[in-house]
Amino acid sequence: MDEKLLKKSDISKLFNEVKDEYNFYAPKKVRGNISFELISDAKEIELDYLNSKVPPKDVLFPQKETIFEYHYEGKDVIIDERKDLEDKLLIFGVRPCDAYSFKLLEDFFAFGEFQDDVFLKKRENATIIGIGCNEPRQSCFCTSVGGHPYQKESTDVFLSDLGDYYLVETITEKGKDLVKKLSWLTDAKKGDVEKSKALAKQAEESFTTKFNFDLVTKVLDENFENPVWEEIAESCIGCSSCTFLCPTCTCFDVIDENDEYNHRGRRIRIWDTCQSCLYTLETSGHNPRPEKIQRCRNRIMHKFSYYPSNYDRLGCVGCGRCIVACPVNNELRLIIDKILEIEQKEEGEKANA
Amino acid sequence: MPNPYIPILTKVKSIISENKVNDIKTIELQFQKEDDYKSFDYIPGQFAEISIIGKGECPIGIASSPTEEGSIKFTIKKMGTVTSMFHRSDIGDTIGVRGPLGNGWPIEELKGKNIVVIGGGFAFSTLRSLILYILDEKHRKDYGNVTVIYGNRDSGEVLYRDVLEEWEKRDDIDVVLTIDREEEGWTRKVGFVAAIVKEVAPSPDNAVAIICGPPIMIRTAVDELVKIGWKDEQILNSLEMRMKCGIGKCGRCNIGSKYVCIDGPVFSLAELKKMPNEY
Repeated sequence: MDEKLLKKSDISKLFNEVKDEYNFYAPKKVRGNISFELISDAKEIELDYLNSKVPPKDVLFPQKETIFEYHYEGKDVIIDERKDLEDKLLIFGVRPCDAYSFKLLEDFFAFGEFQDDVFLKKRENATIIGIGCNEPRQSCFCTSVGGHPYQKESTDVFLSDLGDYYLVETITEKGKDLVKKLSWLTDAKKGDVEKSKALAKQAEESFTTKFNFDLVTKVLDENFENPVWEEIAESCIGCSSCTFLCPTCTCFDVIDENDEYNHRGRRIRIWDTCQSCLYTLETSGHNPRPEKIQRCRNRIMHKFSYYPSNYDRLGCVGCGRCIVACPVNNELRLIIDKILEIEQKEEGEKANA
Repeated sequence: MPNPYIPILTKVKSIISENKVNDIKTIELQFQKEDDYKSFDYIPGQFAEISIIGKGECPIGIASSPTEEGSIKFTIKKMGTVTSMFHRSDIGDTIGVRGPLGNGWPIEELKGKNIVVIGGGFAFSTLRSLILYILDEKHRKDYGNVTVIYGNRDSGEVLYRDVLEEWEKRDDIDVVLTIDREEEGWTRKVGFVAAIVKEVAPSPDNAVAIICGPPIMIRTAVDELVKIGWKDEQILNSLEMRMKCGIGKCGRCNIGSKYVCIDGPVFSLAELKKMPNEY
């Protein structure tokens, strides 16, 4: 049998085995919230969590990161490129929706003539240990966007939580290399694999949030000017939590942090958001999206209309973070309902005519 | 392929003040290595992200033509933080360049066509590049008649006086210069660009119009062209938008599913009409 078993109590053994080779990232509780952090002691790893507040995206595409450093020698500038992009990374405990987001990010950053090396090199050097979801949250909807609580896409090793231990499946060559190092893992039995399958099915059936996104995309494509956007934007306070916590949002600002006195500094990129009016504000004062309505519309259109037209798939992985995070409950489920109502109204009018 | 966020380093070779109020300068940049210059293989209408390392980066259209060998030029209006720093730079300063970026004017598709260039104000830089390219002896035979209508608020704002005077002397290009109001000593046209377009009435037969300028000028000039039979497919615009990366990653220059930095900045009016009105 290829599948192995990993006792939960052996997580520290796993950590100690690989920590010298990889920068080991895992869920950790920081000020009451789970996020993926660089682990220095196995005790920090949190195994009991539904999902992290901030997606593991920020390991590969951090909120703030250096593009390059530089220093001045007289009028000459010397650019120092980052050397740490070659470091091997291991991200432990990634949920299937977030693992799938890596696929979307990878395709986005590799799209077109220019390759975003800063992201892609890290992605290439990252090994992902995914973990199936036995208890999807009420806000989760991965099954509506082509995902599944046990989807293995973009993972190298996949874990199923069987109580006191994990079933370990090797998905890729990278995963094989990792599992080879853990010679002490015991072999799984047929019953373990069946138990994992049963959990996957049970999880799939427990989803309460479901959408027909094919219809959503169609309605969006035809209703850019619909007055429903005013309604959708009305309660939004522009806090941008939805975009900052989104595992597929990729927008960033670029800033030079200059240390004037030491004639050196660095150019950084930092997450930005289409929900801010400054995002598109031009120096002349002109702003293509000056109103909230245009900005709210841009987020929804981007995920469910623009992204599908460029990549032939939705720009959303169904993690539900934007639903949980919205402080005014102007959440995606309600927005999608309002959008679908356009279609229902039109059909109703046709029926009455 | 090199990391697209790392700029190529160049040095300021010359600085020319372009207008009377001195808020527009053309900065000429010299590459430090021959290979860097060769790899900067551009066509008119493309732009680059240029930066003063430590102050910031901004997207600027390339004002020089690839036929002017050895260096590249950018015409920069003093507007914000970075452009103001460019105005303070000296000869010999180090400037970072990332590019060429964007699609540029469709120089291949324009072959065999009559070209009508309509420009207003300081948006003339990539038009300068295009006209110089077409007038170059290697390329002139590939293109039909060239008509240039270039308008400014007053005579002090007219850019590139040296090349304009040369073009006026040539018989293979019609140059029509105009300013908004009468001025002593001004011998060319007076009136808004749209009025001059109406007066010149360029024929749409086998022709393409290339328009750059303030939005109000573009709208009124396009109206005049449409009245005399021009089709949306024949009218090309170059858009500006706030940008950070210039390579389709930072997100902000999207118009619907298109990005101005990689799908543009040049779009035909027909293409623009299919896109949401968010630019």
